[in-house]
Amino acid sequence: MRAAALWLVALVIFGVIASGCIGGEEAKTSSAEVQLTGDITKDLVEIGKVLEQNGVKEVKFSAWGSGDPNSVMRVYGIVEAARRINKIWADNGINVKIVVTETHYVASFQDAYKEYLSKQPLGQAGDFFVNSYAFLPTLADEGYILDITEYAKTYQSVVDDFYPSLIEASKYNGKLYGLPQDTEARPLYIRKDVAQRIGFDLSGLDEKVKNGEFTWSDVYYWAKKAKEEGAAEWGLIHRKGSAHPDLIQFIFAFGGKLYDPNTGKLVVDVPAVYKWLYVEWKFARDGLLPEDIMSWDWAKQIHPAVVEGRTLFDIGGTWYWTEWQTKQYYAKGGTPRGLKPEEVRDWFYYTLFPAGEKGDKPVTLSQPFVWMINSKAGQLNPKYDELKDVYHKLAFLMLIKASDPDINAIHSVISAHLPVRKEAAKLIKDEKWLNDLKALNLDLSDEVKSNIRDIVQATVNPINAQFLADVSYMLEYTHLAPAHPKYPALADIFKEAVDKVLRGEMTPEEAVNYIIQKVQADPELAQNVEIQGEIPKDWKFPQG
Amino acid sequence: MRDVETRPRRYERLIILALLLASLPLILGFFLLVLSSFSTEMVTNLDPRSFHPTLENWINLFQGKIATTGGIRVNIWRITLNTLIVALGVAGVVTGISALAGYSLSRIDFRGRKTMMVLLLVLHAFPGVALIVGVYLLYRLTFPQNYEVVGLYSFAYVILARAALEIPMSIWLMKGFFDTIPWEFEWSGIIDGASRITVWRRIMLPLIKPGILAVALFAFLAGWQDIIYVRTFLVYPTLATFIEANIEAEYSHMPLIAAAGTFYLLPTIIFFITAQQLLLQGYSGGIKG
Repeated sequence: MRAAALWLVALVIFGVIASGCIGGEEAKTSSAEVQLTGDITKDLVEIGKVLEQNGVKEVKFSAWGSGDPNSVMRVYGIVEAARRINKIWADNGINVKIVVTETHYVASFQDAYKEYLSKQPLGQAGDFFVNSYAFLPTLADEGYILDITEYAKTYQSVVDDFYPSLIEASKYNGKLYGLPQDTEARPLYIRKDVAQRIGFDLSGLDEKVKNGEFTWSDVYYWAKKAKEEGAAEWGLIHRKGSAHPDLIQFIFAFGGKLYDPNTGKLVVDVPAVYKWLYVEWKFARDGLLPEDIMSWDWAKQIHPAVVEGRTLFDIGGTWYWTEWQTKQYYAKGGTPRGLKPEEVRDWFYYTLFPAGEKGDKPVTLSQPFVWMINSKAGQLNPKYDELKDVYHKLAFLMLIKASDPDINAIHSVISAHLPVRKEAAKLIKDEKWLNDLKALNLDLSDEVKSNIRDIVQATVNPINAQFLADVSYMLEYTHLAPAHPKYPALADIFKEAVDKVLRGEMTPEEAVNYIIQKVQADPELAQNVEIQGEIPKDWKFPQG
Repeated sequence: MRDVETRPRRYERLIILALLLASLPLILGFFLLVLSSFSTEMVTNLDPRSFHPTLENWINLFQGKIATTGGIRVNIWRITLNTLIVALGVAGVVTGISALAGYSLSRIDFRGRKTMMVLLLVLHAFPGVALIVGVYLLYRLTFPQNYEVVGLYSFAYVILARAALEIPMSIWLMKGFFDTIPWEFEWSGIIDGASRITVWRRIMLPLIKPGILAVALFAFLAGWQDIIYVRTFLVYPTLATFIEANIEAEYSHMPLIAAAGTFYLLPTIIFFITAQQLLLQGYSGGIKG
């Protein structure tokens, strides 16, 4: 018995020591150095020469992406970048080739993140990983993605062409860990036909929203009128779930905040949260917003209610514009079908998310996707230990190439996300370029052309491009949800509270107290969340 | 005297009806899944107007398209092959080990036999999830440095790890089958000069074929439907992980996922239809201690 116990103790000690050894191997210093200069052709040629001298003829990389089916340029951008670099090498007589061995793309970006987390330590994750900026701090903290701050300094002109707020979203602790890939805005859509039936004049409305003259009290007024006059079944339809930050916009629209940069903590801004929940409660109590919307089905209830004109207002994303065209949500004629671009244009007005009340500002909220490089990028290639720095710099240059304005613009047009570079924003306004894209008469690899052909056919047209150009200004009003590891847990509590006020199970005041209690009951959340302010006394909605 | 318990026939229909009602949610769920796979939209609300017949979902699935328009192509056959390798691997390992161990526990009175039998039951009580941290640690410790063999290693590891979860119960099942074979069969072989292993292989195994097939089937299904171990240890996708990664309520074309789900169910349905007698024997054989 004693011997058995000794064996057991020895086994445990061995396990502990062995686990400590995992991943503890020291990286050897690179023997081949390449200095980046900011001239991409020159840098690529230099890297190509070093690889050639070391006998490397083929460099293997893989790209992991996720998201809606129209956003596949998130991985094909890397494939195209490889082709462009291969061409530069071939033109300069360098006999090296990049091969993208895997384009791994799944629908759920949360699942993709979990998969990356579990496989990166084993060296089995993609060399390029595109995902929400919200995960960047955790990945950077774990050392799973490459710090590209120094590399990016030599390509400052390219970095400067990105919208600054998006570059900030790609940083953690002041260091740059990726390049923005796309972003979006979340407009308030208004059905023009319903508005016309109730005498709601939309001309110049976006200016009134920008100036804060048209607030959520006005949204309520018109929603109620639409319902009372029988012009629409609902006044407002919005998205559901905690991962979607659409509703979080209310906090910013009521002048609140979600994160305190001074303390690094999340914030429950009580006055703003109370006003948000009050608006939801009031809309639901007056029958303007379905009280069970948080459990509605996306494809059978939420989208059909909007595209069939059963609501006056809808809070959605810019990508709805093409989604309504490519998915069969409209079933009024019998057989479900997608909308025609002309129908989307003629039926929907769009504007910023209005200010909560007079004196507040309109907002939108973005959740940019960021191209990140695996800190083990290139490890499946020959002489990785000696050439690690070269492979990493090559991976960075691939990101620079994948961020070429035309690649970014193609992604924007076919997925209705907003461009992240100013040069790309110019391109989507260029009619000739759009026609070339429609005909796929662009300098793209055959693989990319073949895989985006039917998306291009379904989405590329002047109406969609004009929409993107029109909503680009919204980025000036954008807020970002906090990239804090505990934010998803807090967002879940917000979701529960919204559901309870919509269903009438709690008053807005009770729901705010519920949020506070839930936060304080979770030790980790309690440590990471500050409760600020108090429920305002005598606050009225709607306001006169 | 009858050798089985019987009850008056007048209650039979009532009992069948009650059982049918109790099973209805499950049957309905599977029925709607299959129906949705042949429809342009999900038939989830029992509204016949939701059903718009099409073969598009199945065509897209077999072409490896995860969306109705363009996008990424996946090789669904390769994914199916991965699933099959895991399932067959688990079935092979579990059957081999439990056939040997079941025989030993049934026929040989070695030291610690009873303790081992009790411990096997205890092991069976451990859920796979509870063991995963330790299993992961071992995975990391034995992970190959040579990346070229990682694929092979991950297949071998996931098969062994998943098989380990199935082996305790399978040994008990197999022991039950060996217990039903009279000693005389074995004695006659031994008297004729056959070794123990020859007796096991040439006399006993043919006699417990239904048991072997039942254990192999259970193990195959365990490997086929596993998601936690496959997701943690296998570097390639299987049908389970493919479906899981592509269920995104807002983006996914759910009828296509319904087709993938139905496709994933097919082996299970086929096995249960063709082998239900065998499985029943498996259960009845396994409970004899």
